[in-house]
Amino acid sequence: MVAEDLLLITGARRLVRLWALYGRMDLLFFARGPHTALPWYLSEVVVALAAVTATFLLAERFDDIGTWTRPQVYFLLGYALLVHGLIETFFSYNIAFISRRIGRGQLDHMFIEPLPLWMILLAEGFAPVGATSSLLPGVGLLLWAASQLHLAVGVAWWGLFLVNVVASMAVVLAFAFAWGSLAFWAPRAAEELNSSTYELSHQLAPFPLDGLSGIALASLVTVVPVGLVAWYPSRILLGLEAPPWAPALLPAAALAFVALATWIFRRGLRNYGRTGSTRYSDSGHRR
Amino acid sequence: MVGLDRLATVTPDTVVELSGAWKVYRQRVRSARLGDIFGNLLRPEVRIVEALRGIDLTVRRGEVVAYAGPNGAGKSTTIKLLSGLLAPDRGRVRALGMDPVRDRVRYVGRIGVVFGQRTELWWDHPVAASFEWKRVVWDIPRPRYERMLGLVRELLGLDDILRTLVRELSLGQRMRADLALVLLHEPDILLLDEPTLGLDVLARRRILTFIRELNRERAMSVVVTSHDMAELEQLAGRIVLLHQGQIAFDGDFTELRGLLSGRRVLTLETSSAEPPRLAPAELIRSESGRHEYAFDATEVRLSELLDQAAAQTEVLDVETHRAPIDHVVADLYEHWLRTPAAST
Repeated sequence: MVAEDLLLITGARRLVRLWALYGRMDLLFFARGPHTALPWYLSEVVVALAAVTATFLLAERFDDIGTWTRPQVYFLLGYALLVHGLIETFFSYNIAFISRRIGRGQLDHMFIEPLPLWMILLAEGFAPVGATSSLLPGVGLLLWAASQLHLAVGVAWWGLFLVNVVASMAVVLAFAFAWGSLAFWAPRAAEELNSSTYELSHQLAPFPLDGLSGIALASLVTVVPVGLVAWYPSRILLGLEAPPWAPALLPAAALAFVALATWIFRRGLRNYGRTGSTRYSDSGHRR
Repeated sequence: MVGLDRLATVTPDTVVELSGAWKVYRQRVRSARLGDIFGNLLRPEVRIVEALRGIDLTVRRGEVVAYAGPNGAGKSTTIKLLSGLLAPDRGRVRALGMDPVRDRVRYVGRIGVVFGQRTELWWDHPVAASFEWKRVVWDIPRPRYERMLGLVRELLGLDDILRTLVRELSLGQRMRADLALVLLHEPDILLLDEPTLGLDVLARRRILTFIRELNRERAMSVVVTSHDMAELEQLAGRIVLLHQGQIAFDGDFTELRGLLSGRRVLTLETSSAEPPRLAPAELIRSESGRHEYAFDATEVRLSELLDQAAAQTEVLDVETHRAPIDHVVADLYEHWLRTPAAST
């Protein structure tokens, strides 16, 4: 037990050191050419805001959407941007788009690093400067909405918030990894698969799904789990879900999705160990 | 061709051991005919490619092994097995007392791999940033890092490019930086897959000299693949030639030359531009009265060829020399192409 604890502490320290390294590299990259980096960053902010604009304008025009009041809709949008912003901040550089790394044969680069694969996946995509174009607007929108909603924010609420954000991120990543793993078997055909899965979750997440038929709603929280990215957790955090077990549903679903994605990804890795990569492209490698 | 196959002999200083290593790939064969669309979908034809067929190989500490063979012979597959990127289908791969796949994290911390067409350097950062990245990711103790950095800076002449963005480097500069990067953690084994591909003569010479010095000073084991035999001969004491997934030759370069010891090149300078016909020698090239022939000294005597030439034209000058190693190996490859794999 003591040995396991030590291993965990050592692993956590290593991860923090790696985050510091990649954070520093990201800052240096950004600072080296601010005249090109800033316009690029601003355009990314515009793209991020565009993803929530439709819902935002609907709420502005009609004051509310279904049972959702305008501030509640803002909260939903802020939450959606926050989740995607955190994913982009921690899993940029084609980690969240894992099909590209697999399809382009770039896992080889990861396998010759003396680190467990999970640690590389957690660390290498950390870009706390250049990839925050969704995160900052998300935090801003969330704070604005919270100030209008007069939420009773205590320790328990913050705990619930944290668990939901992590679970939502886990669902998005699990969905991406489960589909992206197809690139293990079809590297060329599935290389860009994660562009579609990511866009799907990015563009459908900021919509209140209330009022949909049972089948459609069930599909949107299971087959294509975009409802778990922002809509369901926002309902929990805003107190719109009554059953006492409701807050446990998203973490449980996230665990199930992560387990499924891990199983598929590991099968893909086993296949990779047998066949290796049949193609190689350096596109997007080592920014 | 009589191969000088050697069975893997494991000694206390063995750092790499492949025992009966097999690697098989399955390739789908697709017809280009429109009528075969459904056939391709429902009953796809699968071709089995045996990349390695029971390879036995050991490498000792401090040994430089040239690993060569025609395209598709299994060179890169072997490097991937030794890098832990692939697992053998049958047989065993051990290096530094470890299984490269199962013990990957520990193992790759003690080896260095360079794929000639790929880079580990960070594209949009100066070279020095990639070195710092390496230090943190490989968790290299600061004193060792400083020592190795000093060494590679000196031997590879890196001072002028340390602050240059990697994407602005020439191919030769990039390869020097890649080699430096791979050495910073002081690996016990260096695996080089075509490290000089596309480099000019000067860049090649610098890199070859560096690898030789490194091997001499640090007793680092090196396995290097290349298609350039002259380059491999400069670098390695031992050459392993692969043919269709099997070791067809394992020995030193003198032994290899001995396999085709009769191979000679004859150059004649004559008064006429027309090359004389010298049976059974083969005309390689002819330009402005200078004619080059290849012949086998075990089949025909040089004096006979000279007599034939003198009978046809005025001979002004004569040169003869052993065929370059590239020609020797090309002959081997050609011979193999005409010979079924089982006979090797």
